[in-house]
Formats: sequence, C-alpha cells, structure tokens
Amino acid sequence: MSSFLKTVDAISSAFGVVAALLVTSAIFVVCQMVVMRYFLNESTVWQTEYVTYVIVAATFLGSPYVLLTKGHVNVDLLPHYLPPTPKKLMAIFASVIALLFCLILAWQAYLLLGEAIEGGWVTDTIWELPLWIPYLPMAFGMALLCVQYVAEILAIAFDSRDPAPAIDYPAERD
Amino acid sequence: MDPLLIGIIAAIAVIALLATGIPVAFGLGFVSFVFLILFEGFGSLSVVAETFFAGIGEFTLVSIPMFIVMGAAVASSPAGKDLFEALDRWLTRVPGGLIISNIGACSVFAALSGSSPATCAAIGKMGIPEMQKRGYPDSLAAGSIAAGGTLGILIPPSVTMIVYGIATETSIGRLFLAGVLPGLMLTALFMAWAIFFAWRSGYDFRDKIGSFSWRQKFEILPRVLPFLAIVVGILYVLYGGVATPSEAAGVGAFFCLFLVAVIYKIVQPKKIWEILSSSTRESVMILMIIGASALFAYTLSSLFITQSVAEYIAALDVNRWVLMGMINVFLLIAGFFLPPVAVIVMTAPILLPIIINAGFDPYWFAVILTINMEIGLITPPVGLNLYVINGIAPGISLPTILRGALPFMLCMVAGIILLCFFPEIATWLPEKIMG
Repeated sequence: MSSFLKTVDAISSAFGVVAALLVTSAIFVVCQMVVMRYFLNESTVWQTEYVTYVIVAATFLGSPYVLLTKGHVNVDLLPHYLPPTPKKLMAIFASVIALLFCLILAWQAYLLLGEAIEGGWVTDTIWELPLWIPYLPMAFGMALLCVQYVAEILAIAFDSRDPAPAIDYPAERD
Repeated sequence: MDPLLIGIIAAIAVIALLATGIPVAFGLGFVSFVFLILFEGFGSLSVVAETFFAGIGEFTLVSIPMFIVMGAAVASSPAGKDLFEALDRWLTRVPGGLIISNIGACSVFAALSGSSPATCAAIGKMGIPEMQKRGYPDSLAAGSIAAGGTLGILIPPSVTMIVYGIATETSIGRLFLAGVLPGLMLTALFMAWAIFFAWRSGYDFRDKIGSFSWRQKFEILPRVLPFLAIVVGILYVLYGGVATPSEAAGVGAFFCLFLVAVIYKIVQPKKIWEILSSSTRESVMILMIIGASALFAYTLSSLFITQSVAEYIAALDVNRWVLMGMINVFLLIAGFFLPPVAVIVMTAPILLPIIINAGFDPYWFAVILTINMEIGLITPPVGLNLYVINGIAPGISLPTILRGALPFMLCMVAGIILLCFFPEIATWLPEKIMG
C-alpha cells in the first residue's frame, strides 16, 4: 500500500509543478498582451482566453497537490479538540464526503468533455479554441483529486499520515 | 417545500459539514449537489461541471493568482524590513515615531502583499523586537502589528475586494478606491490608540535611540521607493481606465519578481520556485472555493432561496440600520470561523439583494464587510494573525497578544460605526474619481 501512496503523491506533486508553470506562463502572456495592446497598439487574439483557461487548468491540475500539502482551507476547530480516535474517524468521514463531491464533479466533467468533443464546440471568439481543450484539465484534475483522496483516506485509516491539517503560516516561508 | 425553510436547512447543513473539518470548497460543493439532487432530481447534475468551470473561467479572476505572486515575491524578500527601517529612520524624531513606523509600514506592505498574515510576519519580525527594545509594552507591540496586518485585505490592491467584485458583479476599480480612505482611517485610528495607550502607561516618548544621519535616511530609499511606485502605478492604470485588473496585476507580478531579483538578489531557482509554488497553492485554494461557491449560488437561486430570503427580509420591514446591525453581527460571527474569501463568496449572493433593497451602497457595504473580516483575523478561534505573531515572537504569550489585539478590534468596530454615520468616507473617493 505504501508504494501506492508514494506513486499517487509523486503524480500529484508532478502536476503541482505543472500548475505552477502554467501560472508562470500566464504572467508572461499577460505582460506580452499589455505590450502588444498598449505600446504597439495591436489587437490581441488569443491572449485573454489563454490566460483565463490556463488559470482554470492550473486550478484543477494543482488541486491534488494542494490536498496533499493540506492547502485546502478548512475549519479545524472541532477536530482540534477531539481525542485521537474520534478525530481520526471524523477526518475519514470528512474525506469520504469530499471524495463523493470530487467523484460527481469528475464524472460530470467527463460527460461535458465528451459532449464538447462530439459536438465540436469552440469558444465564441475569433480564436475559436476547441472547448475540449480547457475542459480536459478539469476532467483529468478532478479524477486525480479523487485518487489523491483515496490515498488520503487510506493513509489516515492506516495511520501513516497525521489527520490534523498542517497550518501553513507565511511566517514559515523563509 | 417553502424555499425559506430549504434555505435554513441548507445553511445548517453547510455549518454542520464544515465543522467536520472538510475543505470549504468541497463541503460547499457537496451540499450543493445534495440539494440539487433532492429537490430537482439527478438530471439537474448535468449543469454542475459547466457551472463550476464558468465560475473559475473568467478573465477578471486571473488577477487573483497574479496579485498573489506579486505579494509572495515581496514577502519572500527583506522589503518589509527595509520599509520599516526607512519609516523609522525618517520618523525617529516624531513622538511615537516607532508606532507610526510600525503601523505605517504595515499599511504600505499590506497594500503590496495583499495578505494579512504575510504583513504581520514581514513587519513584525523587525518591528516587535524593536518596540520591546525601546520599552513599549509587549501587548502593544504584538497588538499593533496584528491589527496593522489586517489592513492588507482593505487597502488596495486587495484579493478580498476582487473576490467581492466578482461575487457581486461590481466594479473592482471602484471597490479598490472605496477601500482607500477607510484603510487610511483605520491606520490613523490604530496609531492614535497605540500612542494614547503608550502615553497612558507612562511611556517616555523621548526615544532612547539617537537620530539617524541624512545619509542613512537617503541610502535606504532606493530599496523602498520602487515598490511604492508599483502600487501607485497599479492604482493609476486601474483608475485611469487604462488597463483591467488582470493586466495591472500581471505586470505588477512581473515587476515585483524583477525588483526582488535586482534589489535583493533573489535569483536562485530554488527561491523563485518557492515564490511560484506557494502562490500557486494559495491561488488554487481560493479558486476552488470560488468555483464551488458558483455551484452553491446556482443551487440557492434555482431553488428560489436567494429570492425568498431577500423577499422575506424586505417584508419584515425592519429599520434599515437594525438590519445592518444584524448583518454585521452575522458577518462577525462568520468571520470568527471562516477565512474572508469563503465568507464573501458564500454570503454575498444572499446579502447583496437585501443590501440594495434596503438602500445601501454596494461599494460602501464591501468596506463594512471587509472590516468585519479584518476583525475575524485578530480574534480567536481562528484569528490567523494572532498565531503568526505567536510564531514570530515566541517570547510573547498568546493571552498577551490577545489582550493587545482587543483594543484594536474595538478601533475597527469604531471604524464601522464611523462609516455608518459618514458613508462618504467610502463613497466620496470613487465618486470623485470615477463619477
């Protein structure tokens, strides 16, 4: 089982890197767009849509990594004061509910992706980006998030990970 | 079933589920799914993926990761320390100059980083020991930084305001402007209280530290002024109607990364990677909540809950200020437990129609809401700033920090009351500049 956990963690971390790269690319494209629009007075075709969808892609692809590093904000007041066993049970309960949400959204995202491919949907701009491209990271990211949640639940159940969410203070950044 | 009753059950379900420690985004999303399935059948699920996607897929939202990168770049550098030192060197002869430097540095850094905990950490690391060294009480040193840090979500550019703007479809440029004077007002209130408290506890304002030479005063400016220029530049392009928030934020992020590389030599791939990956984590977290709240808002409105609650409140015909008082208490309680972004996206769709019905200005209300969220940041149980201070100043106990922060919380309440009597504090500047 620990090799399963390690593999899942590694995949999620890899997509965390992808997400950060996508965000970085958005910074450069925004700057390029500003130069084109305001300094060269040229019109831009693809930039607005690119940065919008790249941030969406980063959100979905980065989400499993954020779960792995306990970055999805929650209210941990009640779990904090519970004794170890109820705390563990509650963490498993919360994770199962979250997994259910992710499963439904992943499933619906796949249906949407299929429709977009079959219908040949494109965005209603001059760029005419096929819509399956921005939908794909949603379907894939949510599926990976489900797998990460399964790993999370197994890890908590078999005590290989502390159910208490780590609080990431920016003070610890440096 | 009566939509109002469904609404109450939904609210209880959200609170109960979030109490288990489930991530806010997934908890909200799950409750939305359950209510859609229960009241509209499984077929209604066919829109959820598109709704979630559309909630995040908006050009304006690109400004959120951009501003976060900008803040993280600045926070990773010693810019906060320099800002504090610059103010201290220039204000050393002014009575209470150190207090003014501390809170002033907080408000400027807050504008740059847009993050309350990052501001507390950046200014507090230098400011708290310095205040202790010059004999100020521990509680005041900790409290003033904790409170100063909260200005980050009010003074523009502010991620919290962007989220409000998107949730309520109001102009982000105008929201930013609305936050300027109230931000300065709170800064002044904080300073006034801190100086009064120090004076009352018999503090001798003649500083024990000698003055600084002009050379010292000037040599620090080149490290501080470029960052100030970025904030001023961002505000200028936004209000001049030159660029959209996302464009301003993207260019701001680029320049901040560039400046920390030039001024502080932060060029090592590892450090840059830390900035980018920590900002990505934070953005993903916020955007997932925004996506889930789009689902939640869709659910509430397709079950007619939003409309029914607004109608119900309007039919009550209570005095609008009693209503505002109740909304404030509600927001305050929500802010005690939840981060600002979550409170805004969850409550804005319900509250905004009520606010507008009662004749309040949505921009003025954004400021009121934000100050309420600021209070939540320095009050237990989840007052993030308190724990940050506790982390950077281990010598000061949590109860002392709490005692120090309490009067500043009252300053914020006083600020809200002032804003109720003089709404112009928030509405005058946007009116003047944007018409």
